[in-house]
Amino acid sequence: MAVDITLLFKASVKTVKTRNKAIGIGFDSTKDEIFKRSRPKSGFSPKAKEVITNITKLKDFLLQHRKDYVSAGSLISSDLTRMTDNERDQIDQDAQIFMRTCSEAIKQLRNEAVKQVTSAQVKEHRGAVLDLIEIYLRGVCKLYSEQRAIRVKRMVDKKRLVSEVPNNPVNLWEEGRVEDELSPEEIQMFEQENQRLVSEMNSLVDEVRQIEGKVVEISRLQEIFAEKVLQQETEIDSIHQLVVGATENVKEGNEDIREAIKNNAGFRVWILFFLVMCSFSLLFLDWYDS
Amino acid sequence: HTHTVRQTHTNTVALKRMLNFNAPPLKNAAAEPVWKVLIYDRFGQDIISPLLSVKELRDMGITLHLLLHSDRDPIPDVPAVYFVMPTEENIDRICQDLRNQLYESYYLNFISAISRSKLEDIASAALAANAVTQVTKVYDQYLNFITLEDDMFTLCHQNKELISYHAINRADIQDTEMEAIMDTVVDSLFCFFVTLGAVPIIRCPRGNAAEMVAVKLDKKLRENLRDARNSLFTGDNMAAGQFSFQRPLFVLVDRNVDMATPLHHTWTYQALIHDVLDLQLNRVVMEEGAGADPSPTGARPKKKIRKTYDLTAADKFWQKHKGSPFPEVAESVQEELDSYRAQEDEVKHLKSIMSRTSPDGRLSGWCVFSLRLKTLCLYILCCSSLPELLEKKRLIDLHTNVATAVLDHIKSRKLDVYFEYEEKLMSKSTLDKSLLDIISDPDAGTPEDKMRLFLIYYITAQQAPSESDLEQYKTALLDAGCDLSPLNYIKQWNLFSRVMNSGSQFVMEGVKNLVLKQHNLPVTRILDNLMEMKSNPETDDYRYFDPKMLRGSERYHANAIVFVVGGGNYIEYQNLVDYAKFKQGKKVVYGCSELSNAAQFTKQLSQLGQK
Repeated sequence: MAVDITLLFKASVKTVKTRNKAIGIGFDSTKDEIFKRSRPKSGFSPKAKEVITNITKLKDFLLQHRKDYVSAGSLISSDLTRMTDNERDQIDQDAQIFMRTCSEAIKQLRNEAVKQVTSAQVKEHRGAVLDLIEIYLRGVCKLYSEQRAIRVKRMVDKKRLVSEVPNNPVNLWEEGRVEDELSPEEIQMFEQENQRLVSEMNSLVDEVRQIEGKVVEISRLQEIFAEKVLQQETEIDSIHQLVVGATENVKEGNEDIREAIKNNAGFRVWILFFLVMCSFSLLFLDWYDS
Repeated sequence: HTHTVRQTHTNTVALKRMLNFNAPPLKNAAAEPVWKVLIYDRFGQDIISPLLSVKELRDMGITLHLLLHSDRDPIPDVPAVYFVMPTEENIDRICQDLRNQLYESYYLNFISAISRSKLEDIASAALAANAVTQVTKVYDQYLNFITLEDDMFTLCHQNKELISYHAINRADIQDTEMEAIMDTVVDSLFCFFVTLGAVPIIRCPRGNAAEMVAVKLDKKLRENLRDARNSLFTGDNMAAGQFSFQRPLFVLVDRNVDMATPLHHTWTYQALIHDVLDLQLNRVVMEEGAGADPSPTGARPKKKIRKTYDLTAADKFWQKHKGSPFPEVAESVQEELDSYRAQEDEVKHLKSIMSRTSPDGRLSGWCVFSLRLKTLCLYILCCSSLPELLEKKRLIDLHTNVATAVLDHIKSRKLDVYFEYEEKLMSKSTLDKSLLDIISDPDAGTPEDKMRLFLIYYITAQQAPSESDLEQYKTALLDAGCDLSPLNYIKQWNLFSRVMNSGSQFVMEGVKNLVLKQHNLPVTRILDNLMEMKSNPETDDYRYFDPKMLRGSERYHANAIVFVVGGGNYIEYQNLVDYAKFKQGKKVVYGCSELSNAAQFTKQLSQLGQK
């Protein structure tokens, strides 16, 4: 267990002071004070602290108006503390501008720090400080984006509910909620919202998985078909080629047959002629002899 | 079921508190950042590094962490948190810092209590520099020990040779030197109990360094308790719920009670890493690209890349398997790799769907768009588990590399042979090989391995081997290239311990166990006897100290701390962890003055044998 000995230290200081006085050593405190003050205080630290103060202002601003911002407007807008959409838009816009300004300020500080001639340790220190500030800014931006997401979802839900269900029981529930001033309720509500969002996303995920599965199958089948068709195409092509070749061959064949027939016919004529001539020559020879 | 506090948790909380300017850290995540620099000495570094990573330090707002004795530039607009030992040089340097006006304000935290005179030194330097108001807080942290695990701590890492076995047992040690070493050990143990918030019952053997420590610790605790106003153990300082009505049992043993275990070739993951690789303060440093180089002759010409791996509490695989036998580890790494690959494939699949161009013209444009939108949502959901996946991959890579390196060593040195043989020696089972064969085998192990094996044989032998046998062994060892000086020391030690303990030999008790055969090493056995109040000639003679000086002696203890004076090792630690697993509701913490692996211990024996 750590023991705080700061008081012991202060007592030691007193002891030493008394001892020094007794011996006659005094310290020129005034000179040192002036010396300390005259040392140039770098502009970095106050500027960095300023950025932090601004971010804190933004954070406080967002948290202050969070409840009103997040509550949904009801059809019965009798309560004056309810925020109009215009006011919400204004908050969104202001917050965005603010965040951008802070981000710019950090960037500027970084550039300045880089340009300044300082030791490596100081540079590293300043870089780390700016990282810390950025993380802080990011945290506050997250606050903003969370409540904005809730608002967007509410709007989407409202549109859907209004189009589907004429009676809006959700809003009555919201209205009842706004009456509660306790922040733990607030937190619970947000948590419930979160749960709802999570379960919705989960069902969405399942749906998408199914669809994706189907689409993947379809596309796979389509690929197969395309492949087959391409295959067939080449086959068809080759068949076509064959057919064309075959037709040519048949044509040529016909020609050859005609030729052959012609040749055949011609040949027969000659044989006939030869035979007839032979017969006539035989007859002639026979008549000559008798 | 007694409530006990996890050591690492307590210390981490204490450190975080210190880093938050000695105030409890706020839970609010969106709190304004406050930056600071951390200045530590090597002791402080050793204490912090197993508990907090650099990232955690950054998260706490620490922009720079620097060594006290280094060149530090003035950063005048930032508070500085110091975490140092209150030594002469450190105090001088702090005074110098004050004079040079380095920082805006100073939060001084001393690892162990600072003396009044040194506090006055700082006070006068602060006065001289007109910086008294800048010294905002001064604290005694009582954190002068290194917590490595929830149930393990050690006292020293830097300069551990100052309180090592060699330092305590060397023949030429002066009384003043011994006193100094004992004081260092006692100071750390005192800090340990202050942090724990409990006053233990101390048991120790007679006639060795452990007894010296016990006597001094008892005295220091008594003195502190007597001063009721400033006692560190009053109700205010003790966190409620720690060791509520049970006081812990603190067993001090001397390294000399078991000289075989530090030399043993082991088989469990963490102890293996400590033995064959370079494991310090839960960090493994390896050279990759060259593989294990056990050969004493060759130096690999391949280029080596140095890699460091931190084995943390967040590493689930490590926490589960650090005590597992090595074959189990190899299997589990493979399992993790398979499960990771399955998850990775899912993500890759999604990615490919995302980037796939729409099948031409088959699905209408709108359909594709809404599909892609939904797939995008799915992908985003998946991405939130991506960091988890990447972390898993990193851990798998880490353990694959480490386990592979260990396996290389095992294969090339045939460490499984050594392990089995030594287990048989230590449990006095029948041996199937001749010791001479193993020593003469040129392929089995480094000369150091052979020396270790022979020393274990010598230590565990019922009777000292005959002169001729001894000569045979010695020749074989010399042929294998061993350095025989450790043997000289062990011979002396053996004579001494035989005389002192009259027949108490190395006994490794085989405990029957439904699941696996549990062997209790000597230290575990001693703890078992004391904790279970078993009568045993070895422990019956142990001294009893109660700093609170209560009438009736506390007999039943649900929590115990075992501390080895003269060095400890992971093998003993693992044995105690295994023992504690079977004792429901009892928690055992292992501590040692410093951690040595077998190589370091052999070196110490060698130094002792050379004198």
